[in-house]
Amino acid sequence: MIDFTLIFRILVFPGFTFILLLTLFCDWMERKIEARLQNRVGPMVAGPGGILQPLADFIKLLTKEDITPREAKKTVFKFAPLVAFTIMVFAFCFIPVDGASVLSVNGFSGDLIVILAFATIANFLLFLAGWASCNPYGTIGSARVLTQFLGYDIPLFLIALTPAFIAGSLSIATIASSQVIPFILLAPWAFVLFIITMQAELEKDPFDVPHAESELVGGLETEYTGAKLAFLHLTRDVQVVFGSALVVELFLGGPYGPVFFGASWFWYTLWFVLKLLVVVTITEYITCVFARFRIDQVLSGNWRILLPAALLSLMLTVALVTWVYPLVV
Amino acid sequence: MPNSNIDMISLIKSKFGDKVQIQLGKLGAATITVNNGLHRDVLQSMIEADEKTGITAITGLDLGANIGVYYHVHTSNVFVTIKAEVPKENPKIQTIVDLHPGAAFHELEVADLLGVVFEGHPTLGHFVLSENWPQGVYPLRKDVKASEVKLVPTPPSEEIKLPENERLVKIIIGPQHPALLEPEKFAVTVDGEIVTKVEPRIGYVHRGIEKATESRTYLQDVYLVERICGICNSIHACGFVEAVEKILKTEVPPRAKYLRVVALELNRLHSHLLTLGHAGLEIGYETLFQYFWRDREPIMDLIELTSGNRVYSSLMTIGGVRRDIKETDVPKIKATLKDLRGKLPFYRQIYENEPTLRLRMKNVGVLKREDALKLSVVGPVARGSGVDIDVRKDEPYEAYGEIPFKEIVYTTGDTWARMNVRMDEVEESINIIEYAVDHLPSGPFRIDTPRSVPAGEAVNRVEAPRGELFYYVKSNGTDMPDRVKVRTPTFANIPSFLKTAIGESIADVPANFVSLDPCFSCTDR
Repeated sequence: MIDFTLIFRILVFPGFTFILLLTLFCDWMERKIEARLQNRVGPMVAGPGGILQPLADFIKLLTKEDITPREAKKTVFKFAPLVAFTIMVFAFCFIPVDGASVLSVNGFSGDLIVILAFATIANFLLFLAGWASCNPYGTIGSARVLTQFLGYDIPLFLIALTPAFIAGSLSIATIASSQVIPFILLAPWAFVLFIITMQAELEKDPFDVPHAESELVGGLETEYTGAKLAFLHLTRDVQVVFGSALVVELFLGGPYGPVFFGASWFWYTLWFVLKLLVVVTITEYITCVFARFRIDQVLSGNWRILLPAALLSLMLTVALVTWVYPLVV
Repeated sequence: MPNSNIDMISLIKSKFGDKVQIQLGKLGAATITVNNGLHRDVLQSMIEADEKTGITAITGLDLGANIGVYYHVHTSNVFVTIKAEVPKENPKIQTIVDLHPGAAFHELEVADLLGVVFEGHPTLGHFVLSENWPQGVYPLRKDVKASEVKLVPTPPSEEIKLPENERLVKIIIGPQHPALLEPEKFAVTVDGEIVTKVEPRIGYVHRGIEKATESRTYLQDVYLVERICGICNSIHACGFVEAVEKILKTEVPPRAKYLRVVALELNRLHSHLLTLGHAGLEIGYETLFQYFWRDREPIMDLIELTSGNRVYSSLMTIGGVRRDIKETDVPKIKATLKDLRGKLPFYRQIYENEPTLRLRMKNVGVLKREDALKLSVVGPVARGSGVDIDVRKDEPYEAYGEIPFKEIVYTTGDTWARMNVRMDEVEESINIIEYAVDHLPSGPFRIDTPRSVPAGEAVNRVEAPRGELFYYVKSNGTDMPDRVKVRTPTFANIPSFLKTAIGESIADVPANFVSLDPCFSCTDR
């Protein structure tokens, strides 16, 4: 018996198509916010307010000539962007968008660990993509990706544990649904740290050293063209949306909010998207007001400041969950 | 202790006596003609007497049987020219790089364009000319016609020598690179992330403007030299017309002097705003870039208002300027400048307080004062390192002697200091323009001058946005110049980058480099 509901959920909503559209929309949102913060207008030609610009860019790249350099490690060079994209979309499927995650109704306990691992694997594939291109800029760019995400993965995991501790579960759906009071209020320090770490993990300003174009030309993308480049870009965009979605789930109460009338999935999706846009706006604002760090500053910032802060945050949370929150909640 | 008030000319006179001929008041304060070989001794005694002695330029010129090599030397109070000649058959002269490292680029250029061999120069080779330029053809010699030069096939590119130490990696920045907006190449050797060596190669857009001036009339040349640089075009034209006016012994009417100052300072304003923003781009601070360039636009509009053109103002002409400022335009100019002045505290506060910006600019590319003097750097780069040179103060031209303004000097010598020099100069420029439009003298703004210029020669120094700009013009009595030599500020400043980049992270290269405000269009005339 074929379960058509499941196929619909995987392919259309809230699965592949929804994720793709959300990603393109968030990309447009980012560009528009960045442009307005910088006193520009941003995309404005394709579609109303330029909303179709990300899609137009994607299609344009698909039509471009696809070149594989002679020296490149062909298999890895070709498939790494595609596999990275697939893994990111797969990881996204565990995030409850309309009140339930795509694959099973409530996910499974421990899926937080799984999607964080997927995010790491996707980053590693991007590193491989740059490394396989055998270009000095690509190699240096991907070496920077590797050093950066290896460093920032540890604090990211540690800080992601803070909401898990408060909720007493490692399942994203449970964490999201147990936020009667959003965890941003119970653990604001963890929220701030998580946003900063996410910014570094997603390689956005001020942590965008892996693609500092004034030093590294295109970074790991230097040798990529055509469809492969399109998928690299798309992977990056999905990563950004994924990171913001994680913030929504862990700190902002996930998709849950008041249901006024009609189907709850509609309201849940609406709340999810609105919260997501708030997070995107915050990260985009950070991107705009800072200059880029140097790679050594990024790393020392991680090991000297963020890692101890993450540990402290965890200790504080454990203490509060044990002694204080039972009195409040 | 070197004394800056020393009387350099009597010192030379007493030390060398009859061995040198001194003509006072020619090509600067004096022209010292020496025999081949003695130029080193004269220069050495000048360097010993005054620490601010530096080479402004080396002019090479074809004198028929001989090739003249003119060393233009600046000290703290006088500007002199040391003339030496070498025979064309055997053009050899001793290098002065060991006495003054800042002369290295100037010697390379004279060697490339006139075939003078500087004995003892460490790296002689093609510096401005392309690889497929024929051997033994030196374009600035009079017997070379541009139409007769036959390019040879490009030699196979040198095999890239892998550094012996495996830890070293060679990164080529340029000729095409996002950090360089113009084509130029820097081969940077890095050990991990640390730069150990920088090898420059310029000349990718060399247009031979110095040679081209010799086959055009003086009036045409004004517009030709303006095209050396798009950003600081007025100052190039001004440097040239002033030199010609010196040969003609023409005094420009006072109103023209003030109008020229307005045009020059508008040039400086938009050039500085451009760099301040561009620095933001290089350190990944796009917002800063967008803001500065937004505020640069009204200045471009002012240039259009006062000259009729947005970029190439074409305002300067021999004997004055070509357009007057209308009385009705003055309020508009003042309003725009007031607006810009109001925005400056915000930018200054960003440069002062923004933590990420300070991390990327403080203590990056530190150029010590003694190195700045040794390398003869000019403009904001020198002033950021505590060297107080500014032609507008040292040797006032046009109306600068009558207009009060401050000379900005910072002492830390890092990228941050160089950018802050420009930030403060933006404010000074606003003051200067406001003063100038308030005190515009009445009278004509242009006088007629003869088309033909009597035989003679003149040097002229002006302060371009990027630093001291040097012109040497030699006339031969016709309506076309015999030789025009241009030494642009970026040409003098690049050696400092080669020095400061070493030992720093590769990530600091763009920020460090952009703080020189490099202009390769200027460098490759």
